[in-house]
Amino acid sequence: MKTITVSSGKGGVGKSSITAIIALYLARKQNKQIVYADCDVDAPNAHILLNLKEKDFYEKEEIFASEKATLIAEKCIHCRKCVSEDICNFNAISWNKEKNIPEFNKYLCEGCGSCSLICPAKAIVLKKVKNATLRIAKTSYGFPLVTAQLEIGESGSGKIVTEVRKRAEKLAEKNKADLILIDGAPGIGCPVIASIQGTDYIVAVTEPTPAALHDLSRLITLAKYFQAKTGIIINKYDLNLKMTEKIETYAKEQNAPLLAKIPYDERFIKSLVWQDEILLQTLSETYVPDILKAIKSIQSFSI
Amino acid sequence: MPKTIAVTGGKGGTGKSTISTLLAIGLSKEYRVLLVDADADCPNLHIILKAKRKLLSEVKQTIPKWDFSKCIKCGKCSQVCKENAIVFVKGKYPIFVKEQCIGCNACRIICPTKAIGKAEQKIGAIYFSEINSLNLSNLHLISSEMLITYEETSPIVNALKKEVSKFKDKYDFVIIDTAAGTHCNVISALLGVDFALAVTEPTPLGAHDLSLILSLTKKLNIPAFVLLNKANMAKSKAEEIKSIATQFNTEIVSEIPYDKKIFEAYSSANLEKMPESLYKPLIDFIKKK
Repeated sequence: MKTITVSSGKGGVGKSSITAIIALYLARKQNKQIVYADCDVDAPNAHILLNLKEKDFYEKEEIFASEKATLIAEKCIHCRKCVSEDICNFNAISWNKEKNIPEFNKYLCEGCGSCSLICPAKAIVLKKVKNATLRIAKTSYGFPLVTAQLEIGESGSGKIVTEVRKRAEKLAEKNKADLILIDGAPGIGCPVIASIQGTDYIVAVTEPTPAALHDLSRLITLAKYFQAKTGIIINKYDLNLKMTEKIETYAKEQNAPLLAKIPYDERFIKSLVWQDEILLQTLSETYVPDILKAIKSIQSFSI
Repeated sequence: MPKTIAVTGGKGGTGKSTISTLLAIGLSKEYRVLLVDADADCPNLHIILKAKRKLLSEVKQTIPKWDFSKCIKCGKCSQVCKENAIVFVKGKYPIFVKEQCIGCNACRIICPTKAIGKAEQKIGAIYFSEINSLNLSNLHLISSEMLITYEETSPIVNALKKEVSKFKDKYDFVIIDTAAGTHCNVISALLGVDFALAVTEPTPLGAHDLSLILSLTKKLNIPAFVLLNKANMAKSKAEEIKSIATQFNTEIVSEIPYDKKIFEAYSSANLEKMPESLYKPLIDFIKKK
């Protein structure tokens, strides 16, 4: 079983659409057993692209992947040790003078436990916080989707991604799947690192703009650090041929082969807006064979 | 006191950076504007504005440093580390995995022999730019950038906001461009702003992610307004965006059509050449607000 992660650095370059057509092609045309994991837990969208309805989800689980400091007020001895220097490095604790107790900013608290360790009265405890809901659905294409939605106002996206991947791996083992396909988050921070750690192959999607190239270069540097094989897809390449050339040069310099150049194709937007499965299928047959061929021939990586 | 506005959106690629740049350029014709790039993962505004960045400060994080002559190999530091940044094998000194460390004090507090002191690691940088090249002397850019391989973006955004607070009073407007998503780095960028502008597009994905970001601003008690970008892409979906805005007691304050010219200007880093008529309603709204 292999894992492929589709990532991009910059958002909105076509990551999710390209992940979806790769999945469709492998499932429909090559009869591969795959598990689709939506690891953009901040703003997951795969369930929309795959046209899933509420009834398609057969499993739901609450994820408690982070902790937050809370005060047991009656135990507080007002010593103020928790607000002294070198305790909370995240500015999450302030002293409420009126009530003479500490107050915790839940948006800033990282759940590190430093305040709870320093408190001589054991008045500060860490409480598990529900920070996501994970769901599994059966899609009309035959493969399952594992997705999770971060709770509004919560953090810990990286830890939630790790949970999504764990569930996807379990499911893949059960189904004897050939591949786990991961749709990653934008950026290069914790959710992205959690998405590419230990993956067999990274498909880096970009577009011909200076911003996308800059973000791609940050992603490629990260991928190199994790020693993951990476290939590049330039989406909407014909919108700026000069920039496309620049990206191609960059790809050569970095030894990250160019897998495909996909033109600006309005059918992508149409398939998205109208959630048109047949159109998505057509797009997958148009563009995916070349991508898979390139991965195989250039990097001898076959799915 | 300047007016502080966050440009956000949940989904990536809806046009956050384009809109915040256009907004900053437009306002800078009359006002002093500080544009803030709070997408520390992938900062782009300096590229869009062809700005030369000057290092303002380095963002550093406190990390533990062991004095093994005092270490009794008890393993307590490893037990309290929530990030698994300290590996302990019985009978050996602890091994520190610095990439995993978020810079808290738990290991130092718990160590019974005070064998753990402090060191620093660089996790990012804050830059300042003047946009003289484009003749936009009223516009300054301050941007953050996280060190690649580091995981936690919010400490860099917090450091950025600290820098901004030092000299924001010199400006009439502070415009913060946030990262995509809804987690800690976006929350840190949003906290304390006067209002937020949620940039979306008329697609099912745009609609879905708009509800997420409006739920977040509501939870944080930040007034939010919707900007519908690429408005003509799918007229019927625009209705859906409108109804989401209504649901959250807000409105679409401006619509910007999808125009190949904007994309070309963006992709060749020439946004300042876009005719102001394109985004004037937005500027007018912000001025009035």
